[in-house]
Amino acid sequence: MEKIGEGLSCSSKLEVTGELVYITTIEDVIDLFDKATSKICLVDDAGITTLGPILSDLAATICTTGGPGSHLAIISREFGLPCIMGAKMHTNDLSSLNNRKVKITHDGEDKGFLYLVD
Amino acid sequence: MEYTVNLKEAKEDIQLFGGKASNLIKLIKYGIKVPPGFVLNTKSFKAFVEDNQIQSEIKGIFSKEYYPKDVIDISSKIKKLFFGINLPERIINEIIRTHSQVFANLERKCTYVVRSSANYEDLREFSFAGQAQSFLNNHNIDDIILSIKKCWASLFSPQALLYLLQLKKREINISPKDLKMAVIVQKMINPQVSGVLFTANVINNNKNQMMINSSWGLGEAITGNLVIPDLIILNKIKFDIVKTVIGKKEKLLIADPNGKSTILIETEKTLQEQCSLNRTQLKQLHNLGINLEIFFDYPQDIEWAIENNTIYTLQSRPITTLAN
Repeated sequence: MEKIGEGLSCSSKLEVTGELVYITTIEDVIDLFDKATSKICLVDDAGITTLGPILSDLAATICTTGGPGSHLAIISREFGLPCIMGAKMHTNDLSSLNNRKVKITHDGEDKGFLYLVD
Repeated sequence: MEYTVNLKEAKEDIQLFGGKASNLIKLIKYGIKVPPGFVLNTKSFKAFVEDNQIQSEIKGIFSKEYYPKDVIDISSKIKKLFFGINLPERIINEIIRTHSQVFANLERKCTYVVRSSANYEDLREFSFAGQAQSFLNNHNIDDIILSIKKCWASLFSPQALLYLLQLKKREINISPKDLKMAVIVQKMINPQVSGVLFTANVINNNKNQMMINSSWGLGEAITGNLVIPDLIILNKIKFDIVKTVIGKKEKLLIADPNGKSTILIETEKTLQEQCSLNRTQLKQLHNLGINLEIFFDYPQDIEWAIENNTIYTLQSRPITTLAN
């Protein structure tokens, strides 16, 4: 497995594997609406206003900015979803990760990691 | 007054003032420093719709089922409808009167924030957090009235309509036309630093610790994840700094000095590398956290802002995710 990012693990410490979807607009959310189940969503500054409607279907969220006080992290905790905030990604081309199979793991404290598994 | 009331004189009432305003009313009564303001109650939205006779049009729009592909179109239709009509004269007159009473002693150049306060925001199964919008940096009554209409229109944003479809999947049927929204108008704080204080550590569920996210400028940069903020863990029982992680804070959100709304600017390099809170401020926030946790008898999630050494509480709500 190749590590592709890490940040602050702000919610559930579940290890999850799923298909990654990079979301930037509300149109992306509309496209994903009926097929969001078990997806792992990656966002940069698109927050809870964008992801909110599909959040409860997702397996996890990763965000390249923010912290545990972001609304995205607060609502992820309410749904018990793993949520990595302030993630430092190893690639700048985040859309190249679309549809790749990824895994989220956590250390014993507050770090969360993202791995490519396919 | 039928539609507006000074936050200082109001009695909490979720149906009439929404969850957020009711909470602010409680904080003010307890003596917590909250920016001055007033609330436009949920009856005003009803009057806006009924006086302009647009309820049948709204009803028509929602008379048949809608699907995800329809939400952008529905939302823009309703927005167009709202922006094409005026608030009833009697409500505008009340807003003008209450505004001049509540803000009589403020300096002339101050601006205002218009915040939504919906009747459903605090319901666990219908957590709409972050969906309802706030509009910052309103300069005058005309700006405030436009932002009130924007707040009401946000009930029908594409996201809000998708949210209702999501609830429907789980057999929670709420029609958009049943939603009620009050609107808070407050003096806008222009903070040097702001953030979120959790009176428990929400990452590891340690109730003997507090957790703070802070950054320079307006706190919307943190809640809306526009920056990586500083993270500070405090010992709750006896004030002490347990851990500090300096966030990048590359950007800084401020009121646009040349216009309305806000702008994101580059943070000075030295400020990026410096913790946004000093020990004295951390001690003050620790005190605020202890106070509010005792008052509400439960660990709190508090949004705060520091302007010229005064800490303002912008919101306090229970932390909903602590393990027993």
